[in-house]
Amino acid sequence: MKPQKMRYTDFAGTSGNDDEHRVYSQEDQDEGAEAHLGVEESDSSEDEVAPRNTIGDVPLKWYEDEEHIGYDITGKKIKKQARKDKLDSFLAGADDSKNWRKVYDEYNDEEVELTKEETRLIRRLLKGKTPHAEIDPYAPYVDWFVWEDARHPLSNAPEPKRRFIPSKWESKKVVQYVRAIRKGLIKFDKPKEEPRFYLLWGDDSSSKEKSGQGLSYIPAPKPKFAGHEESYNPSIEYIPTQEEINSYQLMYEEDRPKFIPKRFESLRSVPAYENALKESFDRCLDLYLCPRARKKRINIDPESLKPKLPSRKDLRPYPVTCYLEYIGHKDTVLSISIDVSGQWMASGSTDGTVRIWEVETGRCLRIWDVGIAVQHVAWNPLPELHILAVAVEHDVLLFNTGLGNEEEQEKIKELLHVETPTAPESSGNGTSIVSWIQHDKHEGIMLKHLKTVSSVEWHRKGDYFSTVVPGDDSRAILIHQLSKKLTQKIPFKLHGLPVSSAFHPSRSIFFISTKKNVRVYDLLKQKLIKKLETGVREVSSIAIHPAGDNVIVGSKEGKLCWFDMDLSSQPYRVLKCHPKDITNVAFHRSYPLFATCSDDCTAYVFHGMVYSDLNQNPLIVPLEILRGHRSANGRGVMDCKFHPKQPWLFTAGADSVIKLYCH
Amino acid sequence: MPKHYRPPGKKKEGNAAKYITRSKALKYLQVTLPVFRRLCILKGIFPREPKKKVEGNHKTYYHMKDIMFLVHEPLLEKFRDIRAYDKRVKKALAKKNKDLADRLLTRKPSYTLDRLIRERYPKFIDALRDLDDCLTMVHLFAALPAIEKEQIPVKRIHNCRRLSHEWQAYISRTHSLRKTFISVKGIYYQAEVEGQKITWLTPHALQQVLTDDVDFNVMLTFLEFYETLLAFVNFKLYHSINVKYPPILDPRLEALAADLYALSRFFAANSKATIGESQMVTSSGSEQADSKRKEMQTDESELRLAQLQHQLPTNEPGTLMHLIEDAADGDDDEDVERRECKTLFKNMKFFLSREVPRESLLFVIPAFGGTVSWDGDGAPFKEADEGITHQIVDRPTQGHKFLSREYVQPQWVYDCANARIILPVDGYLVGRVPPPHLSPFVDNEAEGYIPEYAETIKRLQAAARKELLPMPGVDKRDLDDPQNLLLEGVISRAEANEAAEKKRKMAMLEKQYHNELKMELQGVPYSSSVSNDNTESAVNDTEGREESLPDPDQIAKDSSSSMSMVVMSRKKRKLYEAMQINKERKRENVNKLKERKAKAAQGSA
Repeated sequence: MKPQKMRYTDFAGTSGNDDEHRVYSQEDQDEGAEAHLGVEESDSSEDEVAPRNTIGDVPLKWYEDEEHIGYDITGKKIKKQARKDKLDSFLAGADDSKNWRKVYDEYNDEEVELTKEETRLIRRLLKGKTPHAEIDPYAPYVDWFVWEDARHPLSNAPEPKRRFIPSKWESKKVVQYVRAIRKGLIKFDKPKEEPRFYLLWGDDSSSKEKSGQGLSYIPAPKPKFAGHEESYNPSIEYIPTQEEINSYQLMYEEDRPKFIPKRFESLRSVPAYENALKESFDRCLDLYLCPRARKKRINIDPESLKPKLPSRKDLRPYPVTCYLEYIGHKDTVLSISIDVSGQWMASGSTDGTVRIWEVETGRCLRIWDVGIAVQHVAWNPLPELHILAVAVEHDVLLFNTGLGNEEEQEKIKELLHVETPTAPESSGNGTSIVSWIQHDKHEGIMLKHLKTVSSVEWHRKGDYFSTVVPGDDSRAILIHQLSKKLTQKIPFKLHGLPVSSAFHPSRSIFFISTKKNVRVYDLLKQKLIKKLETGVREVSSIAIHPAGDNVIVGSKEGKLCWFDMDLSSQPYRVLKCHPKDITNVAFHRSYPLFATCSDDCTAYVFHGMVYSDLNQNPLIVPLEILRGHRSANGRGVMDCKFHPKQPWLFTAGADSVIKLYCH
Repeated sequence: MPKHYRPPGKKKEGNAAKYITRSKALKYLQVTLPVFRRLCILKGIFPREPKKKVEGNHKTYYHMKDIMFLVHEPLLEKFRDIRAYDKRVKKALAKKNKDLADRLLTRKPSYTLDRLIRERYPKFIDALRDLDDCLTMVHLFAALPAIEKEQIPVKRIHNCRRLSHEWQAYISRTHSLRKTFISVKGIYYQAEVEGQKITWLTPHALQQVLTDDVDFNVMLTFLEFYETLLAFVNFKLYHSINVKYPPILDPRLEALAADLYALSRFFAANSKATIGESQMVTSSGSEQADSKRKEMQTDESELRLAQLQHQLPTNEPGTLMHLIEDAADGDDDEDVERRECKTLFKNMKFFLSREVPRESLLFVIPAFGGTVSWDGDGAPFKEADEGITHQIVDRPTQGHKFLSREYVQPQWVYDCANARIILPVDGYLVGRVPPPHLSPFVDNEAEGYIPEYAETIKRLQAAARKELLPMPGVDKRDLDDPQNLLLEGVISRAEANEAAEKKRKMAMLEKQYHNELKMELQGVPYSSSVSNDNTESAVNDTEGREESLPDPDQIAKDSSSSMSMVVMSRKKRKLYEAMQINKERKRENVNKLKERKAKAAQGSA
């Protein structure tokens, strides 16, 4: 009792104004009062030992840096005890068996050892029991009040009305429930299980209306059926060898076979398939994620794709086999030309010679040695003029071949005579285009050009001829008149590099092919008639059908374009026949034949029928592939020409041989 | 002005208006991606390929009509309701109002898919056509364990199992199974229902391999639809043979099944006590109990199957059913195949050893008209039964052998079913390596390579047919059938021609057969002679062909073909070339097979 009082007074004295303390003291007072009332002895340990420190309930942080922890009851400073270091304290703890009972009291800066009773108390508190075992919190209630002899009731109030009437709130709640039940918001029994399955498709005979949407349902493609190799016990030939399995590792992951066949001796040794779930999942993904589209799959015999061509037998005659070889040139034969009569053939080669052959025998009639590679040779189309035009580098030579009777010879000699070598300025504009010079050595005329001449073409009347000089921009195409020894350039602008030129076989129309296009000019009206768009990369040659309305163009990518000029400026038909450059194309004069020759050492012969009925499209039938030439320096067949009367084809090869193919 | 400028106020046209990307569709429908996926799966809506992908190449496009179709789908609203309801439950749980949560959970809104099925498959035949994936998936899940982690409850697995057994029971009952194939992936079956060929795959009855890279949500959505579909299909099929669906199981057995569950738990605790108890239960029950000891899962299904087997005959209105069936058999002339299947294992009794895949064989053998029993209680007959003609075993050696029966490996059953004849059992006896098991789905002629064993089977088939037919060309069955005889009168000329052709072929085969017989008499073992002859002839053939091709001819042919190639249009030419490449690839494959075979033969020799 005593210490508590002391403490009370102490608090009152030190910090009476503080609210907290007041409350605290109040509690203490109550406790004190209680103690007075019932319980004789106080168990509080706080009561037994007075706190050494008197600082009160202030934060201990204030004294953290001080040397003292507070003041004792007499107002003297209480010094802090020396801190033990951890090791010491641990060692001390390890030695002392009662160490676990020691608690450090920060307030008083001392170690307190809990007694056994105290630990027992703590344990009971932790368990949620009353601290003292001897106290029974559930002791039977002892009613000390004596009821028997009381004269008056404890309360004289009359019984309230609510004790006699039903509760309003309960009834309200009940009404609420009733309503909910009636409305079906509250259901007591579980909903009845209806039969889940029934006859969904009653009768299919009355085919129901299609589903509302207009889109057609595309059924998912079925997975592939399992083949022999998927068997658990496939034939031996379906099992890849170890080497093959190893080689799969080298393949791209996409190409690698997904499934490697394996053989099991018996059914019991087959394990569960490890990808079953995965494959099923992939299938699911395919079903709902893959876009579906109807694709037409062609299930036909590939042979049926090939067009029905008329029988080749019906289209005879056409050149089939090699009949003659003209041997004599030392080097690549670049160009050949056949006489109108079909009796003679001229050839020019890179060995610098021009030769004349008798067609039927293969005899070499005459040789001119010009010394430089001969680019092009062309016979004059008139039967009485046995003149040969030869393109040699910068020059065009006109030779008298010496054939024909004397009258003709005289005429030719007269034609091939240049009185005075025409000065360059005489040819018109004062700028030198070409000079006509008498060539003494070979009895002919030499036309000196400024750049290399690539080809010479005669007009059908035999008086005019054109030369192509690809290197010369403005004077790339020249037209020469033999009778007047006159040269003029064409009055058209060329778009692109000229490749070759050709005269129309019956009208005064002139064809010039540049690398991309073929331009058709009317020479009389001096204007462009048409531009044929080949669509190929580089045109190499051009030939005109004898009727004049159809043109074939060969390209360096091996394509042959057939133009029907009445039809359109686009090719009527493009044939891809050669794997390499087409070097030349040719029409036959009378037979419905045309031919292409190429660097791949072959020549194709086609049937090209043009009908007089304008509504009928030309008929093109490939007839024959002529082989026989050998490749030399990467070149194959350099030139091909038809015989003017017979269905024979001459081909000049890079292997210095000229071949004649007959029917 | 850009090329595709659309003036303001003008509506979109063409592909831009017709197609919508997926993300836009989501926005349009105001749903999340998982819900959209569910909807697409259930409604069977798939992306489509627009001609011009307006929004970019790497996007998925849906047709606007499809999306509008989804917009008007009541299920969409239902899903929203369910979501809202889930929120209520969640809220109740969060407020610790357990009563409310429980009450809410008991009446969760649910939805049915029958309307969707009707919508997607307006006719029954449409549903049958799309049944392949459905059956494969249901059978796969029937073999899977219940995975708590992936939210696959046991109930669904059991449902799948039940559905698959119902389906198999129907197929087996109507003898519509046509082809079977044991592959590494499982067992393929092909059945013909209402003229539709339905192929499905059942995994081997083993513990399945579970992988992580599978989204079970998607699969379960598919499964949900497939379960409903299969149930309705089964209903229709059962209805068509006048059997009630769902099959009402014997209440006694049903009760047993419930009991057995408890029993099996009890067994698991102390497996000693089983024997005495199980004998007390009725026959089928005890069989169940026994097998339940092995694995509980398969067992219930077996019970079901057994029940089905027991039940189908009893359940149907007996005589009427038979009448119907007989009538159907009688006048259905195109069902020659069915009859063939039905009578294949007629008068044969099979007994399955423990180690063979019982479920599959219990399905296949009755489907081809055989009777079957197995090792275990509840089986129709015991192993000691004298009438058993074949015992299916799959073990290296068989200890005790009854002389009256053949001991064959399971593959024999499947091969017989595919060949439709009873094959000689020599190759399939116990302890031997069986002959190769060939896929019945491959058209050998089209493939260009005929495995050796396929040829053997073909010859055997021909021989068997000859045995059956008193005169070549006329079916014995046809003679039985009066209607067919009538038909014979009006047989068309073409058919007659065909018959003649057949006769000729038959004669050839007959001749071959006789030759073989002769050889056999001379003492050459059958298979080796055949194979030798075969290989020799094949080798001769190929060599002859190769030699017989003279060069000029080849060149001429070549040139003529290249001639017409020149005139073809580019499109056709490319197509032709592609076809040639394909052909070449096929030929290469065949060559590889031949090469391997030759090598193997060399190695063995």
